[in-house]
Amino acid sequence: MVTSIQQTLLTMLGKHITDGRTLGVDTDFVSGLGLESIQVMEFVMEVEERFDIAIDLDTLSNVRSVAGLAAIVAKLAGDQA
Amino acid sequence: MSTPGLLDKFAPVAALRDALAATGRNPTGLVTERLLSPTLGIIEGRETILAGTNNYLGLTFDPACIAAGKKALDEFGTGTTGSRMANGSFALHQALEAEMAAFYGQRHGMVFSTGYAANLGMLSALLGAGDAVLLDADAHASLYDGCRMSGAQIFRFRHNDTAALESRLRRLGEQSRRALIVVEGLYSVFGDVAPLAEMIKLKHAYGAYLLVDEAHSLGVYGATGRGVAQAQGVEDDVDFTVGTFSKSLGATGGYCVSNNPVLPLIRYTSRPFIFTASASPSVVATTREALRQVRERPELRTRIWANANRLYAAFQEMALQLGCSVPSPVLAVRFSQRDEAFACWQGLIEAGVYTNLMVPPASPDGSSLLRVSVSAAHTPEQVEQIIAAFAKVVLPVQQARAEAVSAA
Repeated sequence: MVTSIQQTLLTMLGKHITDGRTLGVDTDFVSGLGLESIQVMEFVMEVEERFDIAIDLDTLSNVRSVAGLAAIVAKLAGDQA
Repeated sequence: MSTPGLLDKFAPVAALRDALAATGRNPTGLVTERLLSPTLGIIEGRETILAGTNNYLGLTFDPACIAAGKKALDEFGTGTTGSRMANGSFALHQALEAEMAAFYGQRHGMVFSTGYAANLGMLSALLGAGDAVLLDADAHASLYDGCRMSGAQIFRFRHNDTAALESRLRRLGEQSRRALIVVEGLYSVFGDVAPLAEMIKLKHAYGAYLLVDEAHSLGVYGATGRGVAQAQGVEDDVDFTVGTFSKSLGATGGYCVSNNPVLPLIRYTSRPFIFTASASPSVVATTREALRQVRERPELRTRIWANANRLYAAFQEMALQLGCSVPSPVLAVRFSQRDEAFACWQGLIEAGVYTNLMVPPASPDGSSLLRVSVSAAHTPEQVEQIIAAFAKVVLPVQQARAEAVSAA
């Protein structure tokens, strides 16, 4: 079951995937998608702007997939609501 | 599959090194065999114009700086053999600290053994658990590492984007009073400057603090060479100014100046200040003389800006893809392909001009580029030679790319 936050993140991340690789909620950003760290940072900044949240680097360092990022977004966006 | 061993992480590094070596000229391993002047060296046996050294004022061979270093060697010996906290505080170090503070018109000055140590030492001491740091996404590795070392929460914001900075300050809520904004004055790759006045407005609105790294702007920007904050007329609102002696002052070492009374206390809490040997006497002496020249020879700034403006105008005339839309002592020429940047860098070396090659992941925004830094010591003839080499080597590549794009 893909949550609505996960679906939003998948759509946003899809724009960064240009080589036709398939993208799932558990796909690893680096080993699965071949993204460079700078592309991951850009994606995360877009996510922060979209949801009006700020994610600190320590929290981010444990995030490897859309599922992990969605959990953080849900928590931070929920805290703000 | 067996569990990876301790040293397996080096396999991809070895592969990268071998790939670079296979090109015949490793951009990370180029050696300057001899120096003929601040702007001319021998590379691969050939005279080469150095256009990527950050030697902004060209003081590395200044006779007075060299004499000051020799005199200090005779009077104070080769090294201090100890920390500033113990036996390694010489009269020279104290004099330099007082002179840096006076140069900036600030109450306190503190010097570190390197610029890297200054950033590590200031940030790890200023920040701690429970504090927040708002770090420009393009900030230098030493600023990032200092923040990491501190244990504070790190939030990066999009480069020079004050709206992104404000949204992060706003989200911090009460914690914004425990927040430090960390930016550079002049960004050393693309040559753009921070919008400090707008950042200072936000700093006041949210009760945060501001640290500005003037590493590449010391001696170059501002009416008396104090950097970008001086050029923008906002020095009084910068809480901590840091920088390095290794660029415009032609030595090594780093500094912080501030009116804030905590700076003298940081001597007691900053591990990168305490647990390392202090700068060697000769290094401190050449730094002091170079600083004196920054104060007393404004013509050095006139000269570097004349060279910077000439180079910028010529690159614009050639319609090269530049990283920044204002002249600056650093200029970056962007390439869409890594191979094109590498080929141009090679071609320039063969044409007798050394520049800096930057490719992902080392470049700030993931692009491939050639970076040029000009010096007050470049003669007008050398500047024209740099321009001619770019016209011969880089211009055809960028024109072909532009034609391919417009045809597509």
